[in-house]
Order: sequence, then structure tokens, then C-alpha cells
Amino acid sequence: MTFASPWFLLGLLGIAVPIYLHLYYRKTPVRKDFPSLRLIKLSVEFVARRRKMRNLLLMALRIITIILVVMALSKPFIGQSASARNSSDTPAAFVVLLDNSMSMGCTHQGISVFNTARSRALEILDQMQPGDRATVGLINDPGRLIFPQLTWDKEILKKSVSNVPLSMAGTSMASSILPGLKLLTPLKAYRRAIYVITDMTESSWQPFIEKYDLAKVEPGIDLIMVPVGGTAPDNMAVTGLETEAPIIMTGRQIPVKITIANHSPRSRRSRVSISINGERKLEEEVEIEANSVKDARIMATFAKTGMNHVTAAIQSDAMPFDDQRHLAVRVFEPCRILLIKPDSMPGQPENHEDTFVRFALNPLNRSKDNNFAVETRSTAEAKTAELKNFAAVCLINQRHLDTELIKRLSEYLMSGGNLITFMGNRVEPDWYNQHLIDDLGGSYLLPARIYKRVGNAVSRAVGYQMTDLDAGHPAFSIFARDGAGDPGRAQIFEFFQVRPNPTALLLARMSHGLPGIVEEKRGRGRSMLITFSADTSWTNWPVRPTWLPFLHQTLIAMITANELAIGTIRPGMPVSATITGEDARKLMLKMPDSNRIKISVQTGAQGLVHLNTRDTEQNGYYEILTDGGNRVLSAFAVNPINLRRIPRFIPLTHEAGSGGRSVKEKVSLLRDGYDLSGIALLALLLLAVIESWFANLPSARRVE
Amino acid sequence: MEKTRRLSRFLDPKLLAALSSMEIRARTVVEGMVEGLHKSPFKGFNVEFSEYRQYVPGDPLKDIDWKVYARTDKFYIKEHEEETNLSGYLVMDTSGSMSYKGQGSMSKIDYASTLAASLAYLMLKQQDSVGLVTFANGMRKMIRPRTGMAHLKAVCNELEATAASETTNIGASLDLVGQSMKKRGIFILFSDLMDNADVIIQKLRQLRTRRHEIVLFHVLDRDEISFPFDDTTIFHDLEDESEIVTDAFQLRSEYLQRVRQMMNTFKSALRKSGIDYLIADTSMPLEANLRSFFSRRQAVSAR
Repeated sequence: MTFASPWFLLGLLGIAVPIYLHLYYRKTPVRKDFPSLRLIKLSVEFVARRRKMRNLLLMALRIITIILVVMALSKPFIGQSASARNSSDTPAAFVVLLDNSMSMGCTHQGISVFNTARSRALEILDQMQPGDRATVGLINDPGRLIFPQLTWDKEILKKSVSNVPLSMAGTSMASSILPGLKLLTPLKAYRRAIYVITDMTESSWQPFIEKYDLAKVEPGIDLIMVPVGGTAPDNMAVTGLETEAPIIMTGRQIPVKITIANHSPRSRRSRVSISINGERKLEEEVEIEANSVKDARIMATFAKTGMNHVTAAIQSDAMPFDDQRHLAVRVFEPCRILLIKPDSMPGQPENHEDTFVRFALNPLNRSKDNNFAVETRSTAEAKTAELKNFAAVCLINQRHLDTELIKRLSEYLMSGGNLITFMGNRVEPDWYNQHLIDDLGGSYLLPARIYKRVGNAVSRAVGYQMTDLDAGHPAFSIFARDGAGDPGRAQIFEFFQVRPNPTALLLARMSHGLPGIVEEKRGRGRSMLITFSADTSWTNWPVRPTWLPFLHQTLIAMITANELAIGTIRPGMPVSATITGEDARKLMLKMPDSNRIKISVQTGAQGLVHLNTRDTEQNGYYEILTDGGNRVLSAFAVNPINLRRIPRFIPLTHEAGSGGRSVKEKVSLLRDGYDLSGIALLALLLLAVIESWFANLPSARRVE
Repeated sequence: MEKTRRLSRFLDPKLLAALSSMEIRARTVVEGMVEGLHKSPFKGFNVEFSEYRQYVPGDPLKDIDWKVYARTDKFYIKEHEEETNLSGYLVMDTSGSMSYKGQGSMSKIDYASTLAASLAYLMLKQQDSVGLVTFANGMRKMIRPRTGMAHLKAVCNELEATAASETTNIGASLDLVGQSMKKRGIFILFSDLMDNADVIIQKLRQLRTRRHEIVLFHVLDRDEISFPFDDTTIFHDLEDESEIVTDAFQLRSEYLQRVRQMMNTFKSALRKSGIDYLIADTSMPLEANLRSFFSRRQAVSAR
């Protein structure tokens, strides 16, 4: 007989310990008279109770001893299932999951962490033996297996690993680990493992660990972490980019807010710059305290109408992917607004009912540096106006309109114009209902039928207020913020009772419940009916501070309503929108790298088309082109995940392979496992000595 | 004083044990012990009024008769005269446990008997009457109090003749003793108190309420106090013959704690009731026990 570890036989010397203890503490009872055993009996009971606890401890020690004996004899191994170890010829089935999330893009000691991860994956695949099956997966958001089934072809797997791009998305552990587990679970005849090559960012692991119980992974499948990278680098990031204006007009200076985060434990300084359509415009130096965020504001002017690409950037650092941020903004020409006021009566002074609207939209009546250019025409003058040149038309307290003008207004509205109708003392409900609704059939102008007048603007005995404001509508959403004013404080003394059309939206009610402001989408345009006057004859709203923002917001909402706005999304997120059929001619997506790809569309009801694309992996500015690439329909920006916190990395475990071993050695170690029988024997020996000592431990001091 | 010291050397229990006669033992103890004592240890206990005399500075103020002062406006001291017929009851525990003889030369009962005979001799010498009661499971023998040195022989003979046996029932025995004590007197109990402590304390308090003066000698062997056993031992009970096998070494600390607790219980409970509690360690010279007894008595007299 031979011994694999003959030095363990030295442990036999330990037998001497219990023998010595036995002989040393051996006792032969002697008989002794004693006056009374009363106190002795009481003491014996007490001591017996005390010894009971000690005996329990002894029993526990002995149980552990037996467990260790059994474990030592059964030769325990860790790192691999026993059945697999018993037959080393068993083929392996494994999944290599490569983290290509955004955080892998940083550099560690001058070397790209992602490149390191790729070479680790290749090293693992190199060990694939004939008969082994494997696949490769990606851990980004959403993660996936590159090959949905296991393959024997090592070269294909290695090639796919070499071609894996770095994603700008976050990390979704579940979407790749769970399919991997599902793939391996039925292959019980194989040695099974999932290798996860990752930088172990806490933000990616924490949700996965919280949601899934890794302890429930089938015991035969080893989940092996192969961490790459180091600790969190000192990182600065552009975490926010937005314009601080509800609408951007060409030639107007607007503030652009750039949020910069310093994820490092020391104060840092960087230059922040803005580029518009690739042309560097402005830059500014900012200093940011340690672990804090700072906003920088840079004034910018846009010269081009339509979609513009804004880029904010700081100096590049260890994590370059978050050092710049993109924004797509739509820039408009200054909007022309046409106010049609009542004709002045012969012999009467000029009508000024448009004053409050005009003043609210362009207070200084400037032709430049203003969002709105307002033109006022009387009813007679309006007949000749070229309506298509105006972004919106306001009808103010009209009695009758020319039939030709009504027809043109209807065409204007249906083709995308916007109409706001104010009531007043000249309004005749029957005429309005007849000529602006009934006679026009499907091309009607008003969103509600008009009935009688309510209240008395002369006596002003009762003042009504607006309630139930639709805070979701852009016209009133601005007032939802604290301190932004309350239109409900304005008083309306007289107004028209109206009945909204079935498809109209009720934006505000009067205090007793009747509709106050109604809006309806008409064709490609919008029509709004305000049931009271545009001046102070029926209401005091025009002299209250909420009047101006209401008109501005209403017009901006009307003007921008037809524009396709997508905004900013995260890498990999789908983009979907519904557009009209005429906009959907030969749709293409222009990528940040200037490549153009076709966008698939689905035709829906009422001539609408649904577009959908998921080709948003790259960070940057995307344009949706129509008419074969000749017209920009819309644009959007893709930005990396906004890391609000400094990315923390989970500490490396022993599997993580700290120390000098190469990945090859580590993988080999993990696949072969550790033999624990030696450790169990050592523990057993130690425990036996403790047990012998403890069992014979005197409980009282010896009498001198 | 020199002579006293010389004689005291011979009061060692080992030497006394060599004296076969209890009477001689008692005489030896007392002669060596009380020579030089000027006052009876029982003074002030059973006294009668003698005369008044004028107060002189130095007299204790407590002796001034304030009623006379109130009537005559003069300080008079009340003089007392000792009564000759003090009744002393020596109550001896003769249960089996008292037969224990440890490493010393005298068993517990021998030691207690010598102590009792010494006190009897002393009291008879002072013209007091002395009686003897022996008990174990109940009262075994009673000798009524009598005066005269001739009575000492009877007491000593009985002490010599009594052998320790039977179990102890101190409570019941004290009840019987109390019922048979017709006259108020001093009640000196010798026992190892191997019975329920609460019952013993209760019965002694009852006796005390009948205005008996009570002195308790708790007779213990050195082995009981120090428990000098080390090995696994079969302990044999001298009273009920039961046995218990135990590791004396492991038991020692717990046992000693209980012994200390028992002595402290008796000491505090009995002294609160005005009962003198004295430990009679059989390894100590009898003289030491007698001296502590006398010093306690003189303290009581001073009160």
C-alpha cells in the first residue's frame, strides 16, 4: 500500500494525546463517610446542569469530527461537479459571455479593458477540446447569445469574439446569463460552465443579484467570473445637454445647459465646448468639485432652420465614451401670426381688440429677435392675405366673414395651419354654427358649437374662473410648476356657452362647469376656441401675468405639434413613430458615421405609417430622412447611460484570479477543482486534539 | 494571667481527647480558661434589686434612676444583686452526623460534649442550675436543671453515655424541648444543623419569643468547612446511610459556596433575632470557642 500524502502519517503521533489525557485524569473511586450528603446532593445537581452545556458542546465537536472523517474519506473537490471529475474524458459544454457594455470602453493602465476582455475570451476558447461544445454571448443591454446554439467550431467562435464591437449600451446580465443557463441545463452528460468576462461594475450586477437567486443555478453548472480591468478610474462625464428655450428660432440667442459630473475624489478642471452641426462654436473652462455635478450655460445661436446637431464635449479621459453628449434640436423661422380683428364701424374710432394679443406675442413690435412676428388685418383686409405664410391665424370677435375667406381658412387649417378663435359681443352664434361648421361639412373650422351668452360683462356682477385646466396640454403644462402662476385667478364676466365636438379636447372649464377653452385637431392643423374675448371687455385675463405665457405656449404647441420629435435615447433603444404616408416615402436612417440604412415601415389605418428601428447602437446624432434622403423628417440623439454615481466595481473573488496566475491557469484550476480532502484531514486532526482537551478540561481548581 | 496562658496550652482538643472522663475534661477546660475572669458571663441576665446609692462621677448614666431624681432632685444609682438560681439548658444534637470524625482527634459529638460539660461546670460553680437535653430525630433524654457540683457528674455521665445515631429532625426536637422548659433560662444548643435551615431559624425564633436566652454552637468539622477531597469519591451519609458517587474535585467550589451560604444565612438570621450564633470548628482549641462565647456574653451584658 502506498500513500499519496505520507507526511499525513505524522498525524498518528496525535494518538498519544488522548492516551496521556486518559491516564492522567484516571480516577478510582474511594469510599468516604460524610456527616450529611444534603449539601453535596444540592451541589451535584447544580454541577450536573452546568456540565450538560459542556456535554452538548462536546457532542457538537464530535459530530463535526465525524462529518470531517466522512468528508475526508469522500475526497471532496470544489470547482467542478463530482460526476464530471470522476470521468475526465467527459466533454465540456460552456458559454463564454463577454461584457461589451459601455463601461468596458475605459482604459486601465493604458490598455483598453475591452481588448483585455476579448483576449481573455480567446484564451478560454483556445482550451476547447475536440468534442467540447461552446457558444459566445454578449453582456450589454439587451444582451444576447451570438450563436443561439452550442457549436463545435472553435474557429468560428474565436472569430466572432474578435469581431465583437464595444457597445454604448449599459449592462443586462439577465438577458445573456439566463439563456446561457437554459442552453446548458439539459446537457447533463457534459461538464458545464458559464464564463463571464466582465469589469464587475456594481450597477450592472446589483440588479441581477437582487432579482435572481444564483444559488438556484443547477449545481452541475459552474458560473465562473473572469474579471478584467481595475478599480474605478477618475472620470469626468457630460451627463446632460439641453436648450433652455421652449422653441428655438433662427438668429435668436438661446442658453444651452451642459451638465458635467466629476466622478473622482478630487476637484478637476476641464474645457467644455459646444459644436453646432459639427462646427465648434464656443467653449468655456469649468472647475468641478470632487464627486459633484456642475451646470455650465453657453449662449448659442442657430442659423439653420430644421434639425440641428448640438454636441457638448469635455477633454477626453480614461472613459472616453461619456466625454461628449449629443442633442438634436429643431430650429424654426420666426413665426408669423395673423390677427384678424373686426372692421371699424364708419365714424367710429379704430378697433383695438387685437391689442392684448399682439402685445403679448411681440411686445416691442420688433421684426427681429422675437419668436413671433405679428400682423393685424381687418376682416376686409384679410381677404387678400396669403394664409400659408402664417404659422397661426387668430379670429378676434368677428361678426361675419366673407365666404371666400372662410373657404381659404378651411383649406389652410386642413393643410396644417392653426386657428385660434376669440369670442366677443359681435359674435352671432347661429351664423357661426351655420357658416363655420355646418356649411363646411367635414372641413369645419370650429371645435365646438356655440350657444347663448352667459354672464354680464357690463354689470360684472358675477366673475367666473377657469377650472379643470388640462395640465397635460402644452398650453397649461407650464403652470403646473410651483410659482408659475395660476390662470384660474383670472375672472371672466361673460362668455359663450359651447358644446365641444366629439373629437375635441376640453382644455379648461368655467367655474360652474361649462366649457371654457376647446381645441380640436383638424386635418393637419389645429383649431382652438376661446369662449370669451381677447381684450378686457369680457375678462381681466389679458392684464394678468398668465396671459402672455398661455398664448406663447399655445402657439408653440400648435406650431411644433406636427413635427416628429424623438428626443434623446440610450444606445440600443428602439425608435418608433407614427407619421403620415406622404412623409414615409423611402425612409432612411442616417447614422452618426454617415452611413444610411433603410427604415422598415408598417402601414396603418387612416394613411398613417409606423416606423421602427433598433439600429441605435452608436452614440451620436441620427437623422430620419424621407423622399429618398432629400428631406430631413426628424432627428434624434443617442447618448450613453447617464451615470449619476461613480461606477463601483465589485471586489475580485478568489475565482477572480487575483495574483500572478494567467487566465489559462485560472480556468484550468476552476475546471479541475480543488482537492479538499487534505484540508478536511488537517481540520479533523485539529478538532480531535481540541475535543480531547475540552472533554478532560477540569472544571475546578485542584486542591493544593 | 501567666498561669492561664500556661494551662491554655493544654486545652488542645488532641490532649483533651486523651482524658477519658468528661467531668475531668470540663474541669480542665474551665479551670484553665476562666481563671482571671472577675465577672460572671451571665451577669445582668437574671438579677434582683439590691439598694440605692448616691451617684458618683464615673458611674454609667444608664444606671441612674430617673424616677427617684424626679421626686428628690438627686441622682441615685440602682444597685442589683445577682440571682443564684439561673437555669441553663444544654441542648445536644446526637444525630448520626455528629459522630463524624475527620482528620482531627475528636468527633463532632465529643467536641460538643466537652464544650457543654465545660459550660455546665462553669454554671454550677456559680451556683446556677444546669440541665441537659439530647435529641436526634426527637428528644432522646432530658435531665432537669439542678444546682450543686454533684449534678455535674450526672450531666457528664449522660454526655459520655450518649452515642450519635439516627437522622436529624431539629425542628420537632426543639418544639419538644421548648414545651418541657418550664422556667425562663439560657438555652445553649450544640448542633451541626444538618436540617432545613428555615425550619431551624423559625423554631429558634419561637423559643426566643418566650424570652429564653439562646446561644447556638454550630459544630462543624474542618472537612465540612474546607472539603479537602480530590478524587472520584463514594460519599456515605452517616445519618441515612445513603451514598453518592461524584467527582469531589469538580464539586468542591460549588459545595464550599453552599457551606458559606448556609453559615451566613444562620449568622444573619439568628443575630437579627438576638440569638448568639457561634461556629465551633472541631479543629480549633476549645478555649477559643469558649472565649468567643464569653466575649459575646459580656457584650450582651453590657447592653
